[in-house]
Amino acid sequence: MLRHRVDAQAAYVLHTYPFRETSLIVEVFSRDWGRVSLMARGARRPRSALRGLLMAFQPLELGWSGKGEVQTLTKAEWLGGQPLLSGKALFCGYYLNELLLNLLPREDAHERLFSVYAQTLRRFADGLHEADLRRFECALLSELGYGLTLAHDVEGAGISAEASYAYEIERGPVRLAAPGDSPLCVSGRTLIDLAHDDFTDPRSLAEAKPLMRALITHYTGGKGLETRKIFMELQELS
Amino acid sequence: MKATNSLDHLIESLRCLPGVGPKSAQRIAYYLLQRDRDGAAALAAALMQSLETLRHCQRCNTLTEADICERCLSPQRDASLLCVVESPVDMNMMEQTLAYSGLYYVLMGRLSPLDGVGPRELSLERVLARASDGVVKELILATNFTNEGEATAHYLSEGARARGLSVTRIARGVPVGGELEYVDPGTLAQAVRERRSLA
Repeated sequence: MLRHRVDAQAAYVLHTYPFRETSLIVEVFSRDWGRVSLMARGARRPRSALRGLLMAFQPLELGWSGKGEVQTLTKAEWLGGQPLLSGKALFCGYYLNELLLNLLPREDAHERLFSVYAQTLRRFADGLHEADLRRFECALLSELGYGLTLAHDVEGAGISAEASYAYEIERGPVRLAAPGDSPLCVSGRTLIDLAHDDFTDPRSLAEAKPLMRALITHYTGGKGLETRKIFMELQELS
Repeated sequence: MKATNSLDHLIESLRCLPGVGPKSAQRIAYYLLQRDRDGAAALAAALMQSLETLRHCQRCNTLTEADICERCLSPQRDASLLCVVESPVDMNMMEQTLAYSGLYYVLMGRLSPLDGVGPRELSLERVLARASDGVVKELILATNFTNEGEATAHYLSEGARARGLSVTRIARGVPVGGELEYVDPGTLAQAVRERRSLA
């Protein structure tokens, strides 16, 4: 495998794991290299300059070098401009990170997804809107090549806003004679709005949620997401 | 089945200590057996004794020998304040400040959604039950200012609010004696965002 040296790369920390006595393994989502695993030597020492810096949801500039699956972090700088997430937005941030950790292959650049991720985090800081979550989920699936077929149904006919459809994963929308009740049944309006990234219609927003959830469950191999479980427990409290 | 060699067994057992790999475990085992057999006996006895006598305090969840720890029983403590910290080390630090005379609840962890540590794993329900005893007037959240600490604080504040308890979070910002020139930009940025009115 090629030995790289990356000097200054815009990146976000997705997750960290303790490694040995004082080090950390950092899962990173970077702009030009996609997802990489880096070893931050000594990052858990009490006086380490990296302490408090390698935090998720903060824009950083990282440098690393080495070869193999885990490379060595050589530089980390705080870029700023992103307020710390708090409250529900923080839990949604964890949800984005869990999706990326589960679905994004290593060392595969996704520049567009990176900018959607950064934009979503910035919007989270201003207040949480479900539409931002849906937009991120759509961007993630289409970047990974799992994009939805939204322009026409499986027969090749155009989508009619008034009709009902059942979305068949990996095939596309199948026109129904009457509205169905599975999570994958949506109105034509919702499919058209999804195609335009338009979530102003509350019905489209409401219908997009179970559809995206079913797709994500399918692509993550049917395993439930931890962050969703915790979010549900949080909802039960209030 | 072949009987396990006691030396191998000891080395394997020592590896449960944090940061001790096979090499260090071997070194420690030889040291204890050759150089310090009394120390080894004392260590073994102390371990056995702590395992038997120490348990979690029913009120604050820290380790203690009694059912309820001394601090929780002390009449000098202000029982109307309950401070939630992540670990016993954090509690000791709070004590060193001499700024707080209320009671504690030690979580022994923090929420970490990506590691599968949720409210149930941390028994956050117990904290809320403890805070709803009718005596506690204010729940002070002193979890760390990491994302995980913030997530824990948010969960507890939502739960406390649902039960009509008053909740506060310790402040963050520029350290005492800190000069803006030398403070890290992340801290300063958040200090500006969370500035307070002096009127």
